Amino acid sequence: MIILNTFLLLLATAFAAEEVNTYLIFKNVDRSIDLTSQLVKITSTITLENAGKDAIKNFLVVDEPKANGKVAYRGVKDSAKQDLNLLPVQVEGNDQKKYHKVILRQNLEPGRTATVVLEEILARALEPYPSSIAQKEKQLVRYFGNHYMYSPYTVAKQKTEVVLSLRSVENYTKLKPVTQSDNVITYGPYTDVKPYTEDQLIVHYENNAPFLTVTNLHRLIEVSHWGNIAIEEEIEIKHTGAKLKGPFSRYDYQRDTVNSQHSIKSYVTVLPATAHSIYYRDSNGNISTSAVKHRKDWIELELRPRFPLFGGWQSSYTLGYSVPSYQYLYRTAEGQNVLTMRFIDHVFDDMYVEDVTTSIVLPVGVSDVKLVTPYQVERLRDDVKYKYLDNMGRQVLRLRRKDLVEHHIQDFEITYSWQPQLLLHEPLMLSLALFIVFLAVIVWVRLDFSLGVPEHSKKE
Amino acid sequence: MFGSTKKPAPQQQNAEKQQTLLTLTILTIAAILSFATRLFSVLRFESVIHEFDPYFNYRTTKYLAEQGFYSFHNWFDDRAWYPLGRIIGGTIYPGLMVTSTVLYHLCWLLNITIDIRNVCVFLAPLFSSFTTIITYLLTKEVKNSGAGLVAAAFVSIVPGYISRSVAGSYDNEGIAIFCMLLTYYTWIKAVKTGTIYWGTLSALAYFYMVSSWGGYVFLINLIPLHVLTLMITGRFSHRIYVAYSTLYCVGTILSMQISFVGFQPVQSSEHMLALGVFGLCQILAFVDYVRSKLSKSDFETLYNFITYSVGMITVTVGSVLMISGKISPWTGRFYSLLDPSYAKNHIPIIASVSEHQPTSWSSFYFDLQILVFLFPAGLYFCFKQLTDENIFMILYGVTSIYFAGVMVRLMLVLSPIMCILSGITVSHLLMKFMKDIDTTKQQEHKKYKKSDANASFQSEVSTAFVAVVTILLISYTFHCTWVTSEAYSSPSIVLSARSHDGGKIIFDDFREAYYWLKMNTPEDARIMSWWDYGYQITAMANRTILVDNNTWNNTHISRVGQAMASTEEKAYEIMKELDVDYVLVIFGGLTGYSSDDINKFLWMVRIGGSTDRGAHIKEWDYYSPSGEFRVDKDGSPTLLNCLMYKMCYYRFGQVYTEGGRPPGYDRVRGAEIGNKDFELDVLEEAYTTEHWLVRIYKVKDLPNRGV
Repeated sequence: MIILNTFLLLLATAFAAEEVNTYLIFKNVDRSIDLTSQLVKITSTITLENAGKDAIKNFLVVDEPKANGKVAYRGVKDSAKQDLNLLPVQVEGNDQKKYHKVILRQNLEPGRTATVVLEEILARALEPYPSSIAQKEKQLVRYFGNHYMYSPYTVAKQKTEVVLSLRSVENYTKLKPVTQSDNVITYGPYTDVKPYTEDQLIVHYENNAPFLTVTNLHRLIEVSHWGNIAIEEEIEIKHTGAKLKGPFSRYDYQRDTVNSQHSIKSYVTVLPATAHSIYYRDSNGNISTSAVKHRKDWIELELRPRFPLFGGWQSSYTLGYSVPSYQYLYRTAEGQNVLTMRFIDHVFDDMYVEDVTTSIVLPVGVSDVKLVTPYQVERLRDDVKYKYLDNMGRQVLRLRRKDLVEHHIQDFEITYSWQPQLLLHEPLMLSLALFIVFLAVIVWVRLDFSLGVPEHSKKE
Repeated sequence: MFGSTKKPAPQQQNAEKQQTLLTLTILTIAAILSFATRLFSVLRFESVIHEFDPYFNYRTTKYLAEQGFYSFHNWFDDRAWYPLGRIIGGTIYPGLMVTSTVLYHLCWLLNITIDIRNVCVFLAPLFSSFTTIITYLLTKEVKNSGAGLVAAAFVSIVPGYISRSVAGSYDNEGIAIFCMLLTYYTWIKAVKTGTIYWGTLSALAYFYMVSSWGGYVFLINLIPLHVLTLMITGRFSHRIYVAYSTLYCVGTILSMQISFVGFQPVQSSEHMLALGVFGLCQILAFVDYVRSKLSKSDFETLYNFITYSVGMITVTVGSVLMISGKISPWTGRFYSLLDPSYAKNHIPIIASVSEHQPTSWSSFYFDLQILVFLFPAGLYFCFKQLTDENIFMILYGVTSIYFAGVMVRLMLVLSPIMCILSGITVSHLLMKFMKDIDTTKQQEHKKYKKSDANASFQSEVSTAFVAVVTILLISYTFHCTWVTSEAYSSPSIVLSARSHDGGKIIFDDFREAYYWLKMNTPEDARIMSWWDYGYQITAMANRTILVDNNTWNNTHISRVGQAMASTEEKAYEIMKELDVDYVLVIFGGLTGYSSDDINKFLWMVRIGGSTDRGAHIKEWDYYSPSGEFRVDKDGSPTLLNCLMYKMCYYRFGQVYTEGGRPPGYDRVRGAEIGNKDFELDVLEEAYTTEHWLVRIYKVKDLPNRGV
């Protein structure tokens, strides 16, 4: 898959620079910008229309050059809610902009329309303003966007809804027609907007959602054919909201919790339903503040960091658990072993992970390892790891990717060959070692190795 | 094998085999028991390092395991004693760290991928298992195998030793007791055989002991004392000469390889007994030799001449060296060993450590239980059958019981000999009375008619006696387990309490605060706290501290004490002088944790006032007019306005701690605080833990000019 992707990427960049098809127009765009969490979630329902004479196979979406933050995830679905393929491409004459080509499932015949849903998730797009606040103050953030949909095509008609968490808004740009009802600001409809039109949209509002970023995540998956898969995640988190200014008062914090809403006391991590032997610790030992709740289809783990996190504060911890391997590991008819596991797992709701390294420790003596990933990841150099009584070493696959959100919780697949006899390798080795020790003792006790008899013992 | 020994009869051989099996089984069970009984805290809490000093040992061990011995040896630690720093390699006994690193690498060599922390946590229990075995061997040398087994069983659960060797208590003493007994065992062997082989082995064991604990001084005085006693009692022989000469020469040269010890073995007064006895040995041997060659009158003339001249020379050279400072005077700790009131009068820092306090009578019973009563009997049995090795045991017992009385900590040295002597007693008595039971039974079976009243009476007495001893032993077992479980198995880094409904509440505030420091202060932040918490801060928060538990610089600690005891303005000057960024205090007023900084505060005042620069700090200013130390309205105004008071009670005046009490009620002191409404000018609350146990303040920058 990776190879295929890179191949296509090469193909796209080197040989076939795309052109913008001017016959394609966006007949109607309904945008919804969700600003309730730390992430900006933009869902655009686009009605495509083919005004030309040839059938259209694909269309382009483009990154907004002036947009704050990063596009962490972009996905397109058709009207049947099926995912469409996205490929990064370059467009002649517009080398600075980043384009993606969306390949339609069915060709769009002339005169016909089709509806697709474009979902984009932006991280780091909300800027705390003021950038530092005292313990009792509220957290205000600003969002910088575009009143219009940024697109290489003409948009005939469009409407934008901005959804906020609370009613209280400090300020927002008022490009008419605009209305505010409760916590929703509606812009538009605007008609006949030319390609690449920009007009800054600013919303300054109160947002007390946890601004928690996972700055670094190391996920370690250890596969054992004895029936267990051990997972350990080393997680570094940081509160990336408005920084705490001045003192932290425990008295105020304990007396009224209403006023320090922007601090993070605890959050919920969801684990697979079969997870057991869960531990939660850091470099100083066990963190005694966590609670496990068993739901029907998953396990909810309420984690409280050692201390509440205020703006600019950080912490780190290790979370580990085991799952039985029968859910994730199976054998194909050809005798191959297939491991299907998540590349990353849930840390907290609306999470944003800056950097992930996932290591998969395979059993002793595997060969023909093949990897299929759900999206593009960087594969680092393989490593070798030695576990208990392991003299042969285990192959470790290391994968890395930056900027992930909940949509990236998807399975990768590893196929490998492995002989079940190797399971007995370590027990046999241990037995042999013990046998040799006993044998040595037996020989040592039975035989006399001294050259002569010492004098003082002769006297006795 | 080669026919040099006769093969024993099959039946005898069988009995011998049975005995070996029995000995091995009992010893193995004792060793396992001694390991298992120390795991209470791991099972109740987690595999965690305890207390204060072990954190330093853990940190250095980690460094050694990661960086290797060479860089460990040359390690200059700039995280401690800011701005002085500390040369770690030259100021510690490296035995403990080297031992665990060797074990760690050995495990990894065998592909047992164990964590270095777990090696540290389980090292003390492992070595207590070894101690059990070595106690058996030592007692076997002194008495017999039966006594050895009883002593081994005793020592495996004796609370006096468990107090310093539970899992997680990663301290020098954990392995030092093993080293000490190993040295004694090899020494007894050397005395008995008189071979260079055992003498050298004993020197090696001594070297291991020196490398692991400062208490080796006890050892290097006890062995010469033994030799001296043997000389006086006329038991000096070639065996002793060979054993001691080998031990002293090889041992001293080896011990000087430890850079912390350096030239002390030939310079300091504490080692002079060993040197003197060594000289005496040579003279005595020489005199014996000369006596055997000369006539009696010639010998006497020569003897008088040499005695006088050597005496004169020794006195002159000794006094010259003493005046020129080549022989260092005895250190404070040593003085306090000889005179328990010395420290109290002269060095407050030594007296302030609770483990340097004299032992109370109750703690003897608490730590040793029935051994206290069996010990004199053991001494009696040793006196009854005087041999070279029994004299050693008597000396060991008598001296260590004195030292244990002087300092609580040295209970540790006393425990093994208590076990050995009690083992001898119990084994001796049981052997005697069990025999009676057996014989009478046989008599009853065989010659029932002939058995007289006396014999049956004897049997009953014996049975009763054995029953009493058994009950005593059982009570000892229960007592030891109870003491271990209740008193010695709390990690002290995690506190637990019972809530009203009987549930367990965990106070994990220390780690909370240290982790906060680690994550949310600048990498080079300097943290001021009382020295007790120094090691923990460097190990867990990885930040620079001003003073720590290695209390080598009195004036520096005194400066910190002065800052704590001064008013805010005065303290600010001192803190700026010392470049302090954060201040950390321990406060138990909300939870009722009694060993907090307010209760230690008088020591800070005393130590702060003990140097010239702190002459203005007087202990009496901190007492109320009626001479009490109190924090309520009647307390002295000096106390109510000093930095420590303000840091502990900042905003505490508004908190309701207990139902039916006014706000600001301190649950440790049992009083409503006297100074409630105040603001801090030069400090700012940076962090306070959930139960207010640890409070961290940030020192504000100097105000800008003209503002």
